[in-house]
Parts: sequence; structure tokens; C-alpha cells
Amino acid sequence: MPEIRRLLPTLDIASAPTSLERLRERGFERALQRSAAMTSQAIVAEVQASGIKGRGGAAFPTGAKWAAVLAASGEVRYAVMNADESELGTFKDRALLEQDPLGAMVGLVIAARAVGAKRAYCYVRGEYREVEAQMGAAIQTLRQAGWVGADTVDIEIRRGAGAYIAGEETALLNSIEGKRAEPRVKPPFPTTQGLWRSPTLIQNVETLANVALLFAHDVDWFRTYGTPDTPGTKLIGLSGHIEHPGVYEVPFGYPLMQLITETEMGHGVSGSGHLGAVLLGGAAGTFLAPDEIRDSVLDYGSLAKYGASIGSGAFMVFDDTVDLTWVLTKLARFFADESCGQCVPCRVGTRRILEFLQRGELERRPEDLRDLAQAMKDASICGLGQTAPVALLSILDRLERRTNETRR
Amino acid sequence: MDLDKAALSRRVQELLSDIPRERQQLLPALWRVFEEYWHLSPEMIDAIAQTLDIPYADVYGVASFYALFANPDNKKPIYICTDVMCALYGSEDLLKAGEDLANDAGVRVKEAPCLGHCDGAPALFDGRQTIRHASPKVLAQIIRGETDA
Ligand SMILES: Cc1cc2nc3c(=O)[nH]c(=O)nc-3n(C[C@H](O)[C@H](O)[C@H](O)COP(=O)(O)O)c2cc1C
Ligand code: SF4
Ligand code: FES
Repeated sequence: MPEIRRLLPTLDIASAPTSLERLRERGFERALQRSAAMTSQAIVAEVQASGIKGRGGAAFPTGAKWAAVLAASGEVRYAVMNADESELGTFKDRALLEQDPLGAMVGLVIAARAVGAKRAYCYVRGEYREVEAQMGAAIQTLRQAGWVGADTVDIEIRRGAGAYIAGEETALLNSIEGKRAEPRVKPPFPTTQGLWRSPTLIQNVETLANVALLFAHDVDWFRTYGTPDTPGTKLIGLSGHIEHPGVYEVPFGYPLMQLITETEMGHGVSGSGHLGAVLLGGAAGTFLAPDEIRDSVLDYGSLAKYGASIGSGAFMVFDDTVDLTWVLTKLARFFADESCGQCVPCRVGTRRILEFLQRGELERRPEDLRDLAQAMKDASICGLGQTAPVALLSILDRLERRTNETRR
Repeated sequence: MDLDKAALSRRVQELLSDIPRERQQLLPALWRVFEEYWHLSPEMIDAIAQTLDIPYADVYGVASFYALFANPDNKKPIYICTDVMCALYGSEDLLKAGEDLANDAGVRVKEAPCLGHCDGAPALFDGRQTIRHASPKVLAQIIRGETDA
């Protein structure tokens, strides 16, 4: 099955990415007009009917979040685009913002209108300077066309400064407020108490681009791809030992192996030419063995069988010569460096895991590692600490399966 | 750097002249000053604190939180991604080559986690733009301040 292009513009689209012409050509002007004629309730109902789930990693139903912000009490409301994209192996938001920045921006305008936000922020990582400039140009185009401004919604870009944790939604809000980007204890959730304690809607870039597509068309069109449970398409970032690394758009339900083998996509494993493993979902993702890849499709149900998830859409390919303990050690160092240090189990646990790995104790002390992982999961306040050991656990599980098989 | 304190304070005020005096403008303000000097000294932090009327400790706390502001002097940082995917494509060698060259070139080569360009590994960020498929040759050009290829 070939690649689908909905979020990514088809190759015949030749207009400049931030031009008014592009806004029209992609149907985004229609999306703005259609949503402008709808009530907040009707917009939210349509997002709910579309079945869009968040594309930033957690796959939370987008419509439910919008409904929560709409229902929250408070005069002032905010909408935020999360373009911090600092997850290992993740570059799909960058590709989307390079190729079609108006989509996500239009999604943000629709989101702001739906929840009654007069002010919106785009938080972009500090290393994405070209993307930031492109976002600025897209906002300018929308301003000139009258969709962005003081009497509709004002959009401000905020540049991060090199903190992975700032991508966590409550840390990101603190960062915008001019504080240290440390996560807040949830609840309260941003939907009721976000920026300056006001109801705040925060969505990933790709989620907002899906919203723009939805309103450029309709629910039926949106659901023509994907599965009934997870409608639509997903951007996947292929990297590592793969002939054609890049961002590819496929429908949910797509066979994972085909991402690697299709000539239009991965075009096969590079390096030794033999697949060793895939790390799916990011630094806190899951390692999948070749037979598990062969057996899985891109959907939450299918992947749950292996304890895996799609995460941010990072699909990192390793040939059979890569020492996965080396990968785990690099991941461990990353988490130890990026932990904000607020919670003891995360601050100490990420260090302890790194030490375990550096001393080569992965196979000797699996039970200690599991206990540590459980403590981190139970007592960390944000996703970083809760999920930092996930990739490691997927390797421990695999080692255990292998031991059991040889025993039999 | 031997900037006179009063002159520095004036320069910081000038840099921040169009930034509203609000706490939420602290991050944009830090960026302004950082990009002028490629680091944030205690004197600069003090000048920012005075200009925006935010306590010094708060400004320091925020500035020290972010990795991109961590640079000890005015040597412009160049970031080489040594994270997993770039490491598969020789980023360690690139880092070594860069460190050797940077020593007396007035720039500083630093390691960075994933830059979001794993499909163009190895990647580097020169403070303004990202270079994909970076080679030692291109890195040498950047370090010498020649226009990047
Ligand atoms: C440590 C950490 C880092 C995160 N980084 C990002 C990020 O860079 N971009 C993003 O969209 N979401 C990121 N998230 C998820 C956000 O907290 C949040 O769930 C998301 O922005 C919501 O948008 P969505 O529902 O549209 O996915 C991160 C979460 C954690 C725990
Ligand atoms: S879990 Fe880790 S990163 Fe998250 S708030 Fe706690 S210490 Fe910070
Ligand atoms: S690992 Fe280097 S850019 Fe992602």
C-alpha cells in the first residue's frame, strides 16, 4: 500500500508553504470559514465525532479535552500549540511545519475559537529556528487575512531553550509564564487550571493539523482512513538503519513491517541489511523484535499485546549488529540529564539505572531494576519519571522470555 | 570579557527596550541577551533582573534551568547531536574532530541530545540553523566562520 498524503501536502501542491494561495489550495480557508459559522458546542461535537486522538504521545481523545476546557469556568482562556518536539527519534512536527505550517496554525485558530481563547501560544524548541521563522510567516499570513488579531485570537511564538521536560504540558505552561520548566502536580489539569490558572487547551502540532483537515472536509472524509477505534493517518519518523529515513504518513492499522520494506517508504534495512530491533515511540518507547514487528499493525490495540505504544511516532530501526545495551545506556544517560529533579524517585532512579547499566548489571539484577522501575512509576509526578524505565523493561521481558524458552 | 558594568547594564536595557515588563517575558528576554553575548554572566543576569524588575534569584533560577543558556563565556556554542540515531552515523567522530578544531577558534563544540533531524544524521546546530548530514569538512568550515555549505 502506498503512502497517504493528507497531513503532508500532495506533491502537486506548488504554492509557497505560508502563502494565502496555500491556505486556499489546502482547503484551510474553507476550514476557517466553516468553523467560524459554527457554535463552540458544534465545533467540539465535530471534533469528538471525528475520533481524533492526541498525536503528542498520550493519545488522549482530543474532543474530550476540548469539551473539558469549554465546560471549565473562567473568563480568560488560552490555547497552546506544543511544538517542543524533543523526544528521541521524533521529527514529524518539524517536517509538518516545514512543509505545511498553515495546517497546524489553522487548527490552533479553530481550537482557540472553540474554547473561547483570545490568546494563543506556539511553544517551539529553541533549536528549531527555521521552523520558528516559518511559523512566524504563517501567523503573518493569517493576520493579513483577518483570522489572527486582537479581535479574533492573538498568537505568540515562544522559543524554548533546550529542556526536554519543557514538552510536558504543565512544564511548558510554567515555561511560558517565565518560570523554570518544572512539571506541576496533576490534578488540577491544564483544562481547568492551565496558564495563570485559567482553563487552557494544549495540543500537539500534528493533532492541530488533523483538526484543520477535519474542518476542511467533514467527519466522514476524516474517517475514510484509519481504524474505527483510531481514525485518520499518523506521521511516522523513520530513522536509524533504514535505506530511506524520513517522515511518512500512513493510516492507523498499517502493517509495521511495510513501513520498513515499502519502496516508497523505508526501502529496507541498511547497515548489515538484517533487522535487529525497532525502538518504537521514543526514548521511553518499547523495543520490538523482528517477529513482533511482522505481527503488528499501527494501532494501540495491536501494539498493546507487546506492551508497546505509538508514542510520538518515532520508529527507530537497528540492524542486528547494534548492542541494545549500548542504546539503553544512552537512553539512561538522557533521562538522568533531563530529569528536572523535583521528585526523588525520578532524580535518584534515573541515575541508579544509568549506574546499573554502566556496571553491566542488566542481566544480573533484573529484579532490583524492576523494583526500581515500579517505584519510579508509582511516585513520580510526571511522565518522564513514570516512563523512563519502559524501554529497559521491554528488554528485560525479552531476556526473560528467552531464558524461559531455553529452559523448556 | 571585560565589559564595564554600567555599559553592560545600558546595553541590556537597550536590548530589552521593546520587551514588556512582565514576568512572562523573561524567557524571550534571556534569549535576547544570550544571543548578544553567547552566555549569561551574573552581571548580565543582574541587569536583566533590574530591567524587568524580577528578583535576581528568580532570573538566575530560570536561566540556569535551560541547557541552551549554559555556556561559560562568549565562545559561540556549536551543538553536535550525539544521541542514539546520530551516533549510528558517526557523530562521536564528528565531535572529536570539532573539539580539536574549536580549541583555538573562538567557538565551543558541545554535545546535544536529539536535535529532531534523525533522518539527516548526523545533525548539528550552529546556534542559528541546523546542518543535516554534517561532515567533518562542513563542521570545519562552520568553526572557521566560513559560510556553511
Ligand atoms: C517528558 C515529556 C515530554 C513531552 N514532550 C512533548 C513534546 O515535545 N511535544 C508534544 O506535543 N507533547 C509532549 N509531551 C506530551 C504533552 O505533555 C501533552 O500530552 C501533549 O502536548 C498534549 O497534546 P496532544 O493531546 O495533542 O498529544 C511530553 C510529555 C512528557 C511527559
Ligand atoms: S518525574 Fe522527573 S522530570 Fe517529572 S517532575 Fe518528577 S523529577 Fe521532574
Ligand atoms: S538523534 Fe541526532 S537528530 Fe535525533
